[in-house]
This record gives sequence, structure tokens and C-alpha cells, in this order.
Amino acid sequence: MTTSTVSNRAVASAGPAARKAAGPARNRRRSTLTGYAFMAPFLVFFLLFLIWPVVHGVYLSFTNQSLTGSGGQIIGFSNYLEAFTDSQMWGAILNTLWFTLLSTVPLVLIALAMALLVQMGLPAQWLWRLSFFMPFLLASTVVSLIWAWLFNPSLGLINSFLATFGIEGVAWLQDPRWSMVSIVIATVWWTVGFNFLLYLAALQNIPDQQYEAAALDGAGKWRQLFSITIPQLAPTTVLILILQVLASLKVFDQIYQLLNQAITPSTRSAVVYIFETGFTGYRFGYSSAISYIFFALIIIVSLVQLRATSRKSL
Amino acid sequence: MNQRLVPVGHGGALTRRTLITGGAAVIGGAWAATSLAGCAPLAAAGVDQVNQLAFWHLLSGGDGIRMSELVDRANGDNPDFLAKQTVLTWGPPYYTKLAMASAGGRAPDVAIMHASRVPGYAPGGLLDPWDTDLLAELELREEDFPPLVWKKGFSGDKLYSIALDIHPFVLMYNRDIAESAGVLGSDGKLVGMTSPEQFIEVAQAMQQVTGGRAVSYGYLNDGAQLWRLWYTFYLQQGATMSLPEGGRIEMDDDAAVASFEFIRQILDDEIATSKGDYATAVAEFTGGKTGMFFSGVWEVPTAQAAKIPLGAMPIPTLFGTPAAYADSHSFVLPHQNDPDEGKRRDTYRFVSGIIRNSFDWAAAGHVPTYLPVTEDPGYAGLDPQADYVNIAEIVNYDPVAWFTGSGSDFQNVFGQNLQPVLLSGADPLEGIQGFRTAINRLLSKPSPV
Amino acid sequence: MTTDVITTPKAPLTTGARGSNGTGHRPGEKSFGAGRVIAFAILIVLAIAWLLPFAWAIVTSLKSETDAASSASWIPENGFTLGAYSQVLAEGNIPLWTVNSILTAVVITALTVATGALAAYALSRLDFAGRRTWYIAIVAAIIVPPQVLIIPLFYQALAFNTVDTYLGLILPQVVAPAMVFILAKFFDQVPIELEEAARVDGASRLRVFWSIVLPLSRPILAAVSIFVFISAWNNFLWPFLVVNDTSLMTLPVGLQTVKSAFGVQYAQNMASAILAALPLIIVFLFFQRQIIKGISTTGLGGT
Repeated sequence: MTTSTVSNRAVASAGPAARKAAGPARNRRRSTLTGYAFMAPFLVFFLLFLIWPVVHGVYLSFTNQSLTGSGGQIIGFSNYLEAFTDSQMWGAILNTLWFTLLSTVPLVLIALAMALLVQMGLPAQWLWRLSFFMPFLLASTVVSLIWAWLFNPSLGLINSFLATFGIEGVAWLQDPRWSMVSIVIATVWWTVGFNFLLYLAALQNIPDQQYEAAALDGAGKWRQLFSITIPQLAPTTVLILILQVLASLKVFDQIYQLLNQAITPSTRSAVVYIFETGFTGYRFGYSSAISYIFFALIIIVSLVQLRATSRKSL
Repeated sequence: MNQRLVPVGHGGALTRRTLITGGAAVIGGAWAATSLAGCAPLAAAGVDQVNQLAFWHLLSGGDGIRMSELVDRANGDNPDFLAKQTVLTWGPPYYTKLAMASAGGRAPDVAIMHASRVPGYAPGGLLDPWDTDLLAELELREEDFPPLVWKKGFSGDKLYSIALDIHPFVLMYNRDIAESAGVLGSDGKLVGMTSPEQFIEVAQAMQQVTGGRAVSYGYLNDGAQLWRLWYTFYLQQGATMSLPEGGRIEMDDDAAVASFEFIRQILDDEIATSKGDYATAVAEFTGGKTGMFFSGVWEVPTAQAAKIPLGAMPIPTLFGTPAAYADSHSFVLPHQNDPDEGKRRDTYRFVSGIIRNSFDWAAAGHVPTYLPVTEDPGYAGLDPQADYVNIAEIVNYDPVAWFTGSGSDFQNVFGQNLQPVLLSGADPLEGIQGFRTAINRLLSKPSPV
Repeated sequence: MTTDVITTPKAPLTTGARGSNGTGHRPGEKSFGAGRVIAFAILIVLAIAWLLPFAWAIVTSLKSETDAASSASWIPENGFTLGAYSQVLAEGNIPLWTVNSILTAVVITALTVATGALAAYALSRLDFAGRRTWYIAIVAAIIVPPQVLIIPLFYQALAFNTVDTYLGLILPQVVAPAMVFILAKFFDQVPIELEEAARVDGASRLRVFWSIVLPLSRPILAAVSIFVFISAWNNFLWPFLVVNDTSLMTLPVGLQTVKSAFGVQYAQNMASAILAALPLIIVFLFFQRQIIKGISTTGLGGT
């Protein structure tokens, strides 16, 4: 067996490991023992709370197991067949994709704008960082409490602000035309700070020399922005896009908390539907099947992203 | 796995207390501005030798305040236990949590459920049955409850829920407006009505007085409200609805359509608005702008607080058969793997204490089910509660199935399919067909309980 | 904040270094032209938009319930009061939930970082049968959303009888393959010479790990810890599923689940929100640089 290195960096530093591998079998056994001694604590958790549930979930998806303990017989592909004709499930998946699109675009663009503006070096740096990042530190519940109050149709700040301009407010969370938009607004406020920080960190890694050279060539600031900054940020943008899309696909907290009893067919996300089917409807088996269909969707989206981004960077 | 490592529940007071003391010190600084006195009851609670009963319910607002009073009183009367109430969000969140807690086997000692939801819980082992002998010992016997209500608590031959109240859908009216319209009897009650035409005549007379609308009714985006009124008129035609598991919904389409036609006749934008939502309807009636109001009795205190001359009665029998739609707040024992005998006994005493002293619960508009309470001479003096106390004889709950009941999907499905009938004048039969299809789909699935 | 210069191969993240010294903005941006004025204006508008919800929550929490429920005014008719706070604290749940939140987040962080660092070290430095397989499995596991595992995880908690226990609350949250990946990537970059010298001197692997590798890894360990702690502190879905007993709830779960018997109380709602937000915000104010660095380092995959 050749020592396979898992990352390029490791090739350079895997000297001792490689030497040992070539050594006597006894050494090899010992190092395997050491290796597993180090791995063991993590593996216990990994196997028990990740691998096993993944496997067991597949099994459950082929049964009619109920939350109440009844059922549990293997019923073949019935759950999957039911899911493929379940308009509620497809609706929930479409809503999830719609939410992902609606939230990802502002979450990337606003974060980028914030980072570029802050990076200009204007006064009161700490204040900008604090303002944009602080919401990220809040639990979803706190965010939902605050935004449910801001969105309140008669007493909320938003409608009373609109009223000062003579605009009649809407029932943000209750009106089906606005509820998804409202959730996106609250989400952007809550999580944009994370992307903002990543952009800020990436901006600080762009060498000054590039700007100096460009300035000598007479490139204006806008030109520098588009010829240096944005291209240099491309890897970060790719990373943020991937993280953001994955995070948005998993949306649950805000929707469940902000809408609570009023989750409608137009606001039900995939994870909300998994939760409702399993815990409100007790149907563990069916809920597992939906989970895996949703999981497959996540894998597909990730692969598409990977392909799109690797082509771009080539 | 050894749970004792991390003591939970009531045995773990010592560890909890240590934890709280330590934790309080850590976070104390954050709350320097405000008093930390709030921590004291927590620490104190652990020292008590009395049985602590965890009591879950979904009552808030006026109901919640009155329930708190009943709980305090039961605690006061029985110094050897202390029931602590936890209020959860009404509707699906509450029922989801309750089912999860019961499935986990460490459920609260006692909880309130809508009687209509019990069929979705009891067969799956999420509830423990009541011991009727022990209840009888504590003065809760079959003959102390209206027969329909007592029977509703059974699943098979076991009693799973004991109703504290029934809360029917009723007709409230404004006495002043009724009097000016000449439709108030000499006894101060709205005149009797026995046909849809008569109801319309009364409403039109009231319109003359209000100069606007006569009836308030809110149903917009609220399937439950639409279901409650429609089902009342449906039942009054002698029609029934049944939902056999694995079968198809059995209902009477003619009666269903007739019920809708009548509601549509009322919601003609003259007698009542065709686009009323719940809050608007309450505001309209309590503001004295209309003479009649279709709603649940839980809005009686709201109307009384608004100081309008309020009367209330069961929805008049317009289609021949007396019938009312209602639900009950019922006590249940969520399933515990390992119930403590002493605590179970105290739980029975707690429930008995609340039900036997439920006279004040009538102030919340509900009808107490304990007959010695409603037969108390003082009860006849409650206005308007005394005018609908007999509704217990004609109550109907949701059709039985694992997916029906208050705050369930069933009523939402109804609303989603049939709201367009009232809102945009769609064909009632079409809406009913949509409802049928959706319900048949639910019925075709095996019950998960 | 000086050691990381030696240990991180790439330039360290110098949050605020360029901006906060006032003169170090980008070359070519020295003039205070119209562009900078506009940029400044946009920043102010954005910052106000982002701070306003906090301000509104604070103002509401300082109103009486009557004022809160009567109008959306910034100045309450009956003056400001701490009434909502004393009400909320007197109910006693928030202090209890805060303790639960601190306890669970601390234990989760400690276990995650300890198990993760050991495993990452093994994956990066030790040669053992199956290393490559485990590495691939762990990296692949990063993509598994915990949300799709709620059914089997809850089923497992039912089987282990850990619903409504601290064990059931904490243990399933201790798996973070992404953190192992980040730590392993970091260990790959640490020069190996020091370790080799110690090994030659006869130090055991564990000793080398403990006294040489860990001290060198402090920045990344801090970054990962901060990230894990914030995630655990704010986690909602799993704690919400596995805990029904109100005395075991964490802040996010308790605030969402338990309601007041007195109906919706706007001022008390906001007071609860502020109290729940306070601990982490205070920590942030004290350790702003470290937290920002920790989050961006971890978010960028440890680089």
C-alpha cells in the first residue's frame, strides 16, 4: 500500500508516515493502534450520531414506522411512490428552491457591498463591523421574536414607517404575497454578517502591490474594482455561494418560528414538511423517505454547483 | 445508557440546584441592572417535599388567567402537591410537542387536550387511561357529566379524557339593537327562529337599526371558523359525516350544499360582509355595529368587556334538527413509562379539584361540564352563560379520525377548499369535491397511531 | 495575538488593522472625494438599517405593556420602565434556560474540539490502516445536513431513552466533520521538524500532540471553538425536538415554546429577546477581534 496523501500540503509533510509505512509490519500495527486510539473518541460520536442515523434513516424510509411506536413493518417503496405523487412535498421543495434563490442573491451582493464599503477605511470601523455582524450572534428564536414584532401589521415599526410616507402597510407574515419576502428580509438581516466577514477577510488578503501597479498604469478606482478586486474575490465568492445555497436549502427555524401556526402551502419549506410529517403527523417512515429525496436534491445542487464553479475557474 | 448520570425530572433537585446556583453566579453580572430575585423561587422549588405536578395546557389570554386562578386554588386546597403550569403555543405546536413528550415517556403529569384530538392520541399509546374507580372516589362519576360529553372521553372501553368544559359555537346578540328592531322577547331574549327565512327577517330588521350590517362573522383564512358554522347548519339538517379508516368519506352532499347556500345568503355584503376575518368580526360586533355574531363562547368575555348589552344562545335550529358544534378542554394523562404512584394520585386529586371548582371557569364563556356546578342555583344568575348551558345535550364534536379535531389539518383542508365558495362565488359542489378528494387521500393512508 | 504570525502559513487575518489606524486605506484612495462621501452615506444608512431592529426591541422592552400595545411610538406615553424585565425574570425561566444554554454549549464545544483535534491529528500525521477511507468518509459527511437526520436521531433517542435528558440534548450535537477537516488541514501545514525532534527524544505521540502541536494550534483551536460555541448556543432544531421538559430547555427553545398565560405581551417578549441575546453580545463586545477572526477563519475553511 502506498501512503496516500489526502491533500497536497500533506505530501510535503507526510515524511515520517511514509517512512514508517515502509517499515516492518510490527511497526505498522503499532501505528495503526495509535491512529485508532486518536480517532476513537471522534469515531464513537461519528458512527453513533451520524453514520448510524444515515443508515437507519434509509431503513426507516422503507417502513411504516410511527412516532407512537406502532407500525414498523417493511412496506417496500410505498413511501417513495407516495412522495413522488405528493403535491405538498413538491410544493415544499419548490418553495425551498425559491427561498434559496431569493435569499442567496441579496446575501451575497449586500455582503460584498458592505465589505467593499468598510474596506475603504472610513472612520468608525468597529461600528460597521458591530452593526453588520451582531445579528449573526442571535439565536433564530430571538431574531423571530424581534421581526415578528417589526412586521406586526398594526403596531409594527415597518408599517408605521411606511405610514409616514402615506403608504398603507401590509400584513407581512400573514399575506401570502408577502410572507416569503418577509422571511427573506429577516434572514438577510440575520445572516448577512457572516458572508460580510468572509469577504472582508478575503479583501484584506489581496496584496497592495496589485493596486499600486494598477494605479501607476492609470487605472481608476472603478477599474481597479472590476479588474482586481472582484476577480481576486472569485474564490471567496464561490465558497460563499456554496455555503449560502446549502444553508438556505436547509431553512427551517425562521419559517417555523415566524409563521408558527400559519405555515401555508406557499411558505412550507422542505425541512418544515419533514418536521410536520414526522412529528405532527407521526409518520416517521414517510418523513424519512422525504428526507432522503430532499438529501438527494442537496447532493444534486452541490454537484451542479461544483461543476459550474470548476468550469469557471478553469 | 445510564440516565442517572444526569438526573432529570423531579428527583434531580439537588444537581439542578447546584447548577442553578453556579449558573446564576456566572450570569449574574449580565443582569446587574435588574433584580436577580427571580432566581429565588427556582432554588426554593427544589427544596419542597411536596409532589410537583407538571401541567401543560394551551390556554392563554382570558382563559389563561382564569386557569391560573383555578390552578392556584387547587394548589391552595391541597398543600401536599404543587401543580406548575406550562403554557405552550395553541394549535399544532402544542399537539406536536405533547405527542413528542408522550412518545419519549417523560411526559408532563397532566395536560389539557381538545376532546376532538383524543382519537388521534389514545390508540397509539400516547395517553394513559384514567382509572374510573379512583375518579369516582374523588367525586368524578359518570352521572356527574352530560352523557354525550362523558362518552366522548372513551376510546374503546377505556376513559382517556375528562372534560372540564364544552365550548360551543353560538349566536351572540346585542340586546339594544334587538330591542330597537323589535326582535327581543319580553324575557330579554332574542325571538325564536325556526327557519332560514326567519333568520334573514330578523337580520333585516336589525339592519334597519344599525343602518349597516346585521351579522358579524369572520372566516377569512381561518378554516376552523368556516367549519364550525357550516358544520352546525349541516348537522341541523339531520346529516352526518363519517370518516372510516381505509374507506372513503361519507357525507350528505345536498345538506352540504344547502348549508353553504344559506351561509352565502347571509354573507351577501348587506347582512354581513363576505370578506370578514376573525379580528374584524370581533371588533365589529363589540363595537356595537352589528346585532348578531357567530362565534365561539370564548369571545363572550371579550364582548362583556366591551360593555355591550350581550345576549347569547345556541345557534337557533333553522333546519329542523337541534344540533351544535362544540369542543371540550379535557384533562388527559400523557403517557409516562414509569409513573410515580404517589404523583399519579395527586394528579387525580388536582384534576378533581379543578373540575369540582369550575364555577368560575364559566366566566371565560365556557360551559363547565360538571353537573353539580351548572346545577348550582347561582349558575342560573350568570348572564348570558345560563342561556346556553343546556347546549350540552346537543353537542357534536368533529367527526372521529386520527387527523381531525381543533387545530388539526382537517379544518384547514376544509377552509382551503371551501373558502372560494364564499369569497368568489365558486360552485359549492366543486369545493366539496376538492374537500372529499383531500380527505379520501388522508383516509387512504394507514393511521399512524 | 502575536503567535499566529509564526504559525499560520498565510498572512494572518488582521481584522481592522488597515481601517482602524485611520490612514491605511487603499493606495489610490487618499482623497476625500465625492465617492468617499457617498460611500460613507451608504454605510451609515446600512448601519442604521441593521441597528434599528435592536433599538426598536430595546425601546419596546422598556415600555409598559399598555404603551407597547397602543402605538408604534418611540417615546411611550407613560414613560420608560423596567417592568417587563422584572416580570420576565420573576417568572424564573430565562435564568434557568440561560444556565442550560451555557452548560450545553460549553460541553458541546469542549467535546467537539477535543475529539475533533485528536482525530484531525491522526488523519494528518499518523499512518494507519483505513486512514484514507475515514478521511473520505468524514469529508463526505460534511455535506449531510443534520436536518435530514432528525427522524432517525429522534428514534434513536427514544430507543436510548434519552429524550428529555442532558445526554440526549448534548451528545448528538458533538459531531462536526467540517471542524475535523479544518483542523486536519491546519495540522498538515504545521512544520513537522519540532515533532520529529521530540519523537527522537522518545516522547510519545500523545505527549507530542499535547505539548507541541496543541500550543502551536491555539489560534485555529480558538477559531473552531468560537464557531462551534456560537452554533451550539444558537442551535434550535435538535434541542427543540429532544427536550419537552421546560426545566431542561435552552434559551432558543424555551423562548419559542413556552408562552405566557396572559397572552401576547409585547414588552415582555422583547425583554426576553434582549435578555437571551445579551450573554453572547457581551462576550462579543469583549472579544470582538478574536470572534471575528475565528468566524472568518473557520468560515473560509481554516485558511
